Amino acid sequence: MADSGNRASTVYHDAAKTLKGKITLDGVNVFYGPDQAIYNVSMVIPDRSVTAFIGPSGCGKSTILRTINRMNETIDIARTKGSIRIDGEEINSKAVDPVILRARVGMVFQKPNPFPKSIYDNVAYGPRIHGLASAKRDLDGIVETSLKKAGLWDEVADRLDQPGTGLSGGQQQRLVIARAIAVSPEVILMDEPCSALDPIATAKIEELIDELRENYCIVIVTHSMAQAARVSQMTAFFHMGDLVEYGPTEDIFTNPHEPRTQDYITGRFG
Amino acid sequence: MPINALILLMMLVLISAAFYVGRSRALRTADRESVSLHSLPNYHGYFVALWTGVPALLLMAAMAMFGPSLTGNVIELRLNQAAAPLIEDFDSRQSEDSLILSAQRTLEASADVNAATQARAALQNRRTAIAENIAASARENGASSLTLAGFEYANLPPERRGLFMNDARALAFNGQPSEITPAIEATASAFRPVDRFVRYGGAALAVLLAMAGLAWSRSRVKAGFRARNRVEAAFMGFLMVCSGIAILTTIGIVASLLFESLRFFEAINWRLDQFLFGTQWSPQTAIRADQVGQTGAFGAVPLFAGTFMITIIAILVAGPIGLFAAIYLSEYAGKRTRKIVKPVMEILAGIPTVVYGFFALLTVGPAIRAAAEFVGFESAVTQSALSAGLVMGVMIIPFVSSLSDDVINAVPQTLRDGAYAMGATKSETVKQVILPAALPGIVGAFLLAISRAVGETMIVVMAAGQGANLTANPLESVTTITVQIVMLLTGDQEFDSAKTLSAFALGLVLFIFTLALNVIALRVVQKYREKYD
Ligand SMILES: Nc1ncnc2c1ncn2[C@@H]1O[C@H](COP(=O)(O)OP(=O)(O)OP(=O)(O)O)[C@@H](O)[C@H]1O
Ligand SMILES: [Mg+2]
Repeated sequence: MADSGNRASTVYHDAAKTLKGKITLDGVNVFYGPDQAIYNVSMVIPDRSVTAFIGPSGCGKSTILRTINRMNETIDIARTKGSIRIDGEEINSKAVDPVILRARVGMVFQKPNPFPKSIYDNVAYGPRIHGLASAKRDLDGIVETSLKKAGLWDEVADRLDQPGTGLSGGQQQRLVIARAIAVSPEVILMDEPCSALDPIATAKIEELIDELRENYCIVIVTHSMAQAARVSQMTAFFHMGDLVEYGPTEDIFTNPHEPRTQDYITGRFG
Repeated sequence: MPINALILLMMLVLISAAFYVGRSRALRTADRESVSLHSLPNYHGYFVALWTGVPALLLMAAMAMFGPSLTGNVIELRLNQAAAPLIEDFDSRQSEDSLILSAQRTLEASADVNAATQARAALQNRRTAIAENIAASARENGASSLTLAGFEYANLPPERRGLFMNDARALAFNGQPSEITPAIEATASAFRPVDRFVRYGGAALAVLLAMAGLAWSRSRVKAGFRARNRVEAAFMGFLMVCSGIAILTTIGIVASLLFESLRFFEAINWRLDQFLFGTQWSPQTAIRADQVGQTGAFGAVPLFAGTFMITIIAILVAGPIGLFAAIYLSEYAGKRTRKIVKPVMEILAGIPTVVYGFFALLTVGPAIRAAAEFVGFESAVTQSALSAGLVMGVMIIPFVSSLSDDVINAVPQTLRDGAYAMGATKSETVKQVILPAALPGIVGAFLLAISRAVGETMIVVMAAGQGANLTANPLESVTTITVQIVMLLTGDQEFDSAKTLSAFALGLVLFIFTLALNVIALRVVQKYREKYD
């Protein structure tokens, strides 16, 4: 693409050096039909930490997030160019089955989307389709630990056979996180996981994210600057498909290098 | 130009004039009193126009509807009046006539059939003779032709009077009378002035009513007058009348179905159990009282069974094919394929059922018979439940597929995303997430398709045969409720034998069944909708 080359993004990698890199994006461009949504994004996302994607609406946060588990492939007109590696392995290569990739890279969406099944079956869904548990007892164990990790066990232990859609919004979102954890992914992608929740449910999820950080590489898209500041170690600021600035969360919020970042975090646009 | 068209034109002019009258009066009032109107000037215009137009047009509609019968009644009255002396004469002569009196006595007393028939004939002859005698002497005395016509009319048997009137009316208004007699000619010439009077009188009344409405409603136009509310109320009333018509028609149809069915149940002595659970259907009843045998058997079970079998076959065809087509279209097909395939499938729904009938009769039926004979069923027939069911199944594929397609598309994208993000494959997502989520809607689609299949007539008439066999063999010919209704009601029939009445009872059963199916289906679909809103 001719014009994708001219718009190289400015990327600050400094913090990534101290943390072990998990995901590497190299010159990623995404197109929706004839329109380009992401321009030449390169970045290294560290393991066992939380990386926040921020930026005004429509800047491409969701799009870039969805390249990491190849969810963009479910959209007919979307095409991804460039290299994305997890632990050094190219995920866009033909050899990688997206079905297996998505077992390694879990995703949580903006609107809680439990399946119209029981709470148990929701969590057991992933282990079942990936054949992770052979005996019913193993499956029970996975369901229990996942729900516990998602901080939902105490609330639902006695009604696992009831429909997941009957839970409250915050509970549903934790159920969905439990569902994602159940296949023991390495990476968890979260696209505005709290935007449909009230402050208390949000606080619970944030707490959960902070705990999950110890074992997973987490990437979270958020519209709340405060949330990014609270939960993330690294922050990436996107604007109109460009990665404008990327660095330790502290630096981005206290000492941004780019005027556009400055404008955004001080609320001058977006 | 016919008077009614002229009046209608005039009415239009009046109504538009009324609109401007109302509007300008409202404007002037506002100007003069320099106050603001409660309603926009246009509403005052509409108000006056409504009052001018609606009552007058209603009157005209009533005249158009009831005018002819009004005229008819007036004519009948005049005929009676003109012939009154003759009729009196006739009555008194009758009551004195010894022959008539003795014949009447015989009729009352005798139980013997032959004697009664003879007495009845004698009575009739004598009456005719007296009437002719009176008419002849009246003619000699120079009675008016209307008097003679009235007398003839009075002596007609009641069932012939309608025909007489129709002939007179036809003769009067350039129609085609079935015969022309002096009496009919006289009546026809009486018709013309009366008709003119009713017509012109009605028109004049309508115009007067329009004027009165205009004057009255104009006087109500004031600054503070709530014309808008009145007009809105009138509009609402109009909408209510429209929905009322639909509902009333339905109620009327159901009521007639119900009453005719009741008559049928009466005719079979309320043996409802025999109707619903009897296994023999042969509705031929005796036409004459002295005919032997043929008492008619109205056990509808063979029809229910036939309907059931054909419906099952149809849904076995349409269910899987329609559902899988819908899944393919909504989940797998690319935009381009979808754009072509979907309309093509909908064309299937637009093919007239008669054409499906041909197809079943000429192509599918023989093919099935050949196949059956090939595997050794020697007695296979062309008109079989199987061929009707197969073709009907093809016919309802679009129902299943397009309704299922809708409900599958209504499954939120977030659910699909959730499944894909868990690493589910496409077929896993369809099987484990989309179909369970869409299941209630799909069930609804199936129920609607079934109710369509149960009510389908043309294909089964042509392809399933007519024998009311109670059989479980789809290669035999069967008959359905709808086919029997057609059979019972086509041809010359009087509508009071148990045979024809049974059609209404069958219709009632069919109606109740499809109504129940529809209600359940709609419930199911609705419940499903609520879940995602
Ligand atoms: N399915 C799609 N088809 C076509 N264009 C799309 C599609 N999804 C996103 N886009 C376009 O890509 C660009 C980036 O969209 P994206 O959803 O990634 O933004 P975002 O940063 O997540 O916004 P928000 O904060 O509002 O969620 C937008 O211009 C959008 O219009
Ligand atoms: Mg987004």
